[in-house]
Amino acid sequence: QSPPGKPKIIKCRSPGKETFTCWWEPGADGGLPTNYTLTYHKEGETLTHECPDYKTGGPNTCYFNKKHTSIWKLYVITVNAINQMGVSSSDPLYVDVTYIVEPEPPANLTLELKHPEDRKPYLWIKWFPPTLTDVKSGWFMIQYEIRLKPEKATDWEIHFAAKQTQLKIFSLYPGQKYLVQVRCKPDHGYWSEWSPESSIQIPNDFPVKDTTMWIFVAVLSAVICLIMVWAVALKGYSMMTCILPPVPGPKIKGFDIHLLEKGKSEELLRALESQDFPPTSDCEDLLMEFIEVDDSEDQQLMPRPSKEHMEQGVKPMHMDPDSDSGRGSCDSPSLFSEKCDEPQAHPFKFHTPEGPEKLENPETNLTYRQATQSTSREGKIPYFHANGPKSSTWPFPQPPSLHNPRYSYHNIADVCELALGMAGTTATLLDQTDQHALKPSKTIETGGEEKAAKQRESEGCSSKPDQDTAWPLPQDKTPLISAKPLEYVEIHKVSQDGVLALFPKQNEKVGAPETSKEYSKVSRVTDSNILVLVPDPQAQNLTLLEEPAKEAPPALP
Amino acid sequence: SRLLLLLVVSNLLLCQGVVSTPVCPSGAGNCQVSLRDLFDRAVMVSHYIHNLSSEMFNEFDKRYAQGKGFITMALNSCHTSSLPTPEDKEQAQQTHHEVLMNLILGLLRSWNDPLYHLVTEVRGMKGAPDAILSRAIEIEEENKRLLEGMEMIFGQVLPGAKETEPYPVWSGLPSLQTKDEDARHSAFYNLLHCLRRDSSKIDTYLKLLNCRIIYNNNC
Repeated sequence: QSPPGKPKIIKCRSPGKETFTCWWEPGADGGLPTNYTLTYHKEGETLTHECPDYKTGGPNTCYFNKKHTSIWKLYVITVNAINQMGVSSSDPLYVDVTYIVEPEPPANLTLELKHPEDRKPYLWIKWFPPTLTDVKSGWFMIQYEIRLKPEKATDWEIHFAAKQTQLKIFSLYPGQKYLVQVRCKPDHGYWSEWSPESSIQIPNDFPVKDTTMWIFVAVLSAVICLIMVWAVALKGYSMMTCILPPVPGPKIKGFDIHLLEKGKSEELLRALESQDFPPTSDCEDLLMEFIEVDDSEDQQLMPRPSKEHMEQGVKPMHMDPDSDSGRGSCDSPSLFSEKCDEPQAHPFKFHTPEGPEKLENPETNLTYRQATQSTSREGKIPYFHANGPKSSTWPFPQPPSLHNPRYSYHNIADVCELALGMAGTTATLLDQTDQHALKPSKTIETGGEEKAAKQRESEGCSSKPDQDTAWPLPQDKTPLISAKPLEYVEIHKVSQDGVLALFPKQNEKVGAPETSKEYSKVSRVTDSNILVLVPDPQAQNLTLLEEPAKEAPPALP
Repeated sequence: SRLLLLLVVSNLLLCQGVVSTPVCPSGAGNCQVSLRDLFDRAVMVSHYIHNLSSEMFNEFDKRYAQGKGFITMALNSCHTSSLPTPEDKEQAQQTHHEVLMNLILGLLRSWNDPLYHLVTEVRGMKGAPDAILSRAIEIEEENKRLLEGMEMIFGQVLPGAKETEPYPVWSGLPSLQTKDEDARHSAFYNLLHCLRRDSSKIDTYLKLLNCRIIYNNNC
């Protein structure tokens, strides 16, 4: 037997800031019947009081009613255990009622399923504030919290409800039994315990969500997606080309790019030279061409062996060692008809060496013009020279950016075309060239007659060469021997009969050439496809032909 | 034109100085904010201040006061205990608006000075956690704001009434600055304890007045 053990105060709680209760834990009783008392004194007072009520709170409790409760004052509380042997007191507990507020759980929790028209159904949860709390006067302010779960689930779904005493739940699973609890908390204090569970059974036909609407939306969007995919698939390519137009790659017509792959420059240059480079137009497509022909002193085109370098101002002549090699027929008038059909066979080159006189022509139109109105089917485009305004003869459009030789590469057929179609196409060509180069020639042929003339002439070209439209070429071939300086020959006029009247180019002379040496005879064709012209011994013929030609110059401005 | 420029510049400077645009600038006689809004705002601020005070006290208690028994020294240590305050609901409900509002104003004013020194001294306290310092600074701010609001409420609820008697003055600064660390900590503990209590009083009375005046005892 011994004095009692020391009791211990567990806690004190106030449910509404108006009363409070303290719980203690008794110590060992020492084998003797023990009484417990609770004594306290308040801050600012000297008197010690005893617990006013041991019963209301249950065993080992002390209940302080409203009369005995003051807030904003510290209570110093001590529990004493007394038995016959002695007294044992607990450690004092300093309590301010303001900070020990823990309300009761909310009361009267009710659950109700509501099915309003035009709106989604929901679960309506209602409750009442806990007892002993004076909310109306503002002495006590409460916040609520609800939790619910299907009966067999493990996790609770928590909803905060602030100060309201009701809550609507919309997201429910039909056919389940739900458990609901509520608790509350003062504005400054502890959370209450959870209220006892309330349960409710959700019927199976409970329409949780408006799924029909979502199904409709899903189907509609799927249909729209399909339509869009289909449209893109159909028009995708055209859309892409509209948005991102394909970049045209560089292409030289008539030029085989595989030669570049091989990487042999010799072959390359040969290919360039041999294959219509610059490309020539097709027989049918070519409307007009200009030829600028070199004039050598002995009336022969002088060949020069060098091929590689293209020096400025110096144009090598290409010597054809075998003047007869397969080209004899080219000299004959009958050649033209054949050659018209075989434009690819032996293209001829007309060298237009750039003499100093030409270099003095800085205003010369250097822009490249496309002679044919329509691009030829075979993609051959003739290059042209544009002469300066000084020439009273046909201006020759010059290809751009080539310092050195401007080669006009033409087929015999093209020459034929040139002869025939020159008059007709002058205007069309000249329209495209620079103004001051064109003036002399514009008036030659005008408008509506063009096409008819071309038509006629092209027909004449392809017809038998026995007509007078044939090129008055010498039948025999005179091989070129001597090298002579090159001179320019200009095509003075193409007569209506298709005769090409050639004149040596006048040096810086405008106006009709006075000394006219006419080169209208093709003596031979060199191996590098140079047409060698000789002055026509039959100058009389040309003078006859010259008359219409001479009519023209006065017309030339 | 110079005058106009000066006017514009001064306006800009004034605009810069305004942190939160008040519903009504204080002191403006012809501006009428609804009493309901004033009370709503005042209740919010007082609630906030009490939360901050409680947190600050708990922080300090945890860090500096464990096992020291500072609470025994805290009895009767508040400088505002001379203000007659109702101590339970019945008493509070029987107290008139004017008394309650004067009480609130007195408490707010009497804490201006201690809060200022609290911030200064906590800053100087070595190892002071930022949780305490930041809250002290915040409370000082909010206290001023609440005082302004209370003065406006007072002007509306009791127009023409005489404002408060002199408020209790705090004289605990020397004990905050004492060299003895335990003594200093004890002084801080007391101050924070009293701040927590007085902020609770202000909060409770305001909520009571709010429900009484605005909601007619039907909150």
